[in-house]
Amino acid sequence: MRALPGKENRQPPGPEPVSRDDAAADQRRRILAATAELIASRGYQETTMEDVVRRAKVGYATFYKHYPDKEAAFLALLEAATDRTVSRVEDAYEREEGPWADRVGAALGVLFADVAEYPAAARAVLVEAVAAGPEAAAKHEAALKRLAPLLRPGRELNPRQAQLPESLEETLAGGVVWVLGQRLIAGEADKLRALLPETLEFVLRPYMGEDEAAREAGEVADAISA
Amino acid sequence: MPAEELGPLPAGRHGYSREQVAHHQRERLIAGLAEAVAEKGYATVTLSDIVRHAKVSRRVFYANFESKEQCFLAAFEVVVGHLHELVADAVAGVEGWPRQAIAAIRATLAFLSSEPDLARLCLVESRGAGPAVTARFSAAVAELAPLLRKGRAERPEAERLPASTEDSTIGALVSLTYRKAAAGEAKQLEELLPDCAELVLLPYLGPAEAARLVREAE
Repeated sequence: MRALPGKENRQPPGPEPVSRDDAAADQRRRILAATAELIASRGYQETTMEDVVRRAKVGYATFYKHYPDKEAAFLALLEAATDRTVSRVEDAYEREEGPWADRVGAALGVLFADVAEYPAAARAVLVEAVAAGPEAAAKHEAALKRLAPLLRPGRELNPRQAQLPESLEETLAGGVVWVLGQRLIAGEADKLRALLPETLEFVLRPYMGEDEAAREAGEVADAISA
Repeated sequence: MPAEELGPLPAGRHGYSREQVAHHQRERLIAGLAEAVAEKGYATVTLSDIVRHAKVSRRVFYANFESKEQCFLAAFEVVVGHLHELVADAVAGVEGWPRQAIAAIRATLAFLSSEPDLARLCLVESRGAGPAVTARFSAAVAELAPLLRKGRAERPEAERLPASTEDSTIGALVSLTYRKAAAGEAKQLEELLPDCAELVLLPYLGPAEAARLVREAE
C-alpha cells in the first residue's frame, strides 16, 4: 500500500483495495482518504475539488473518472466509512455470545475503537455529514438507524417496556454519536477509551435500570484498565 | 413571526423613531431569512431571497448584516434570547428541580412548535451553515449542562453518575428534536414533551419517580 499524504490518519477510510494491482480501487481510496482528511481539518464547505486532487495526488481526469463532483466523493466516503464501521459493530455484536448487555458492550467497544483509529473518516460521518446537505444528512441518519436493532432487544429487560418511546433506540444512538462528535471536534479522539464505560452505562440505563447498567459499565471499565 | 404579520413598513413620516424602525427592519430580515431558508434550505438561499421575504431593500440588509451567515447568527441569538426569557418565566414559582426541568422543556418545545420556521432554522439548518454557526449551536446546547447537573442533588445515587451523563443526555435531546424538525414536523415538537422529560429526569430521579412525574406532566 502506498503511503498517504498527511501526517495523521494514514489509514484508508473505506475497504482495502482488492489487490495491489487494482489501480482504480487505489485511486478511489486515495481520493476518499484525502476528502476525509481535508473535510476533517477545514469542513465540507471550505474543501475544494482542487484541494482533494492535490492531496490525493491524482489528476482531475482521474477524479472525474470516479466521481462527478465533490459531493459525490463525499457521499461515497460516507457510504464506505459508515458501512465499514457499522458492519464491524454488527459483527462484534453477533460474535459476542454473552447476555445482551455484553453484546452491546462489545459493539460499542468496536465503535469507539474505530472512531479513535480513523478520526478523519469518523468526523466526516458524525460531524460534517449532518452539515453537508440533505443527502449526506440522510446517510448519517441511516447509520444511526442501523444501530437501533442492536439496542432494541433490551426492551425485554424493562418491566415498563410498553411505555418506552418508539424512537428510544435512535435517540440513544444520537446521544452516543453526539458525544463522539463533540470529542472529535475538541481533538480528543485519544480520550475515547475512558469514555466507553460511561457511554455504555448511558445506553443500558433505560433498559436494565441504573444499578445493572452501572455494574456492566464497571466491568467494562475494569477490563479496559486491566 | 412571519413577515406578513408585521405588515409593510409605513413610508415617509410616521410615529416610529429611527431606532424603532431599525429594530423592526432587523426583525423582518431575521423572519425573512427563516422563511426563505424554510423554502429552499440555507445553502441555496441568496440575499435576494432574504430581502424579498423580508420586504426590505438590499441596502437595508447591508445596514444590518455583513453577510447571510451574520443574519443567521442573529436569528439564532434572537431564538436563544427569547427561550431564556420564556424558560425563566416558566420556572418562576415552580417548586423543585424536577418540575422546573419539565416546565423549561415544555416552554421550549411550545415556542419551537409555534415558530416552526425558526425551529427548523435552529435545529436543522444550523448544522449546515458553516463553522461559526455550528460552534454557536454547540455552545448554546452546552449551556444546558449546568442546569441538568443540578439534578445530581436530587438523591444520593445521582451524585455518582458518570461525568459525561449531561453530554450524552444533551446529545439525545438534540438527536430527538432534530429528527422531528428534519422530518417536517416542527409544529409537532410539543409532542416530544414526555420523551424529552423522561430522558432528562431518568438519570437523576430513577425510573419510577421519572415516570410518575412525566405522567403528571402529560
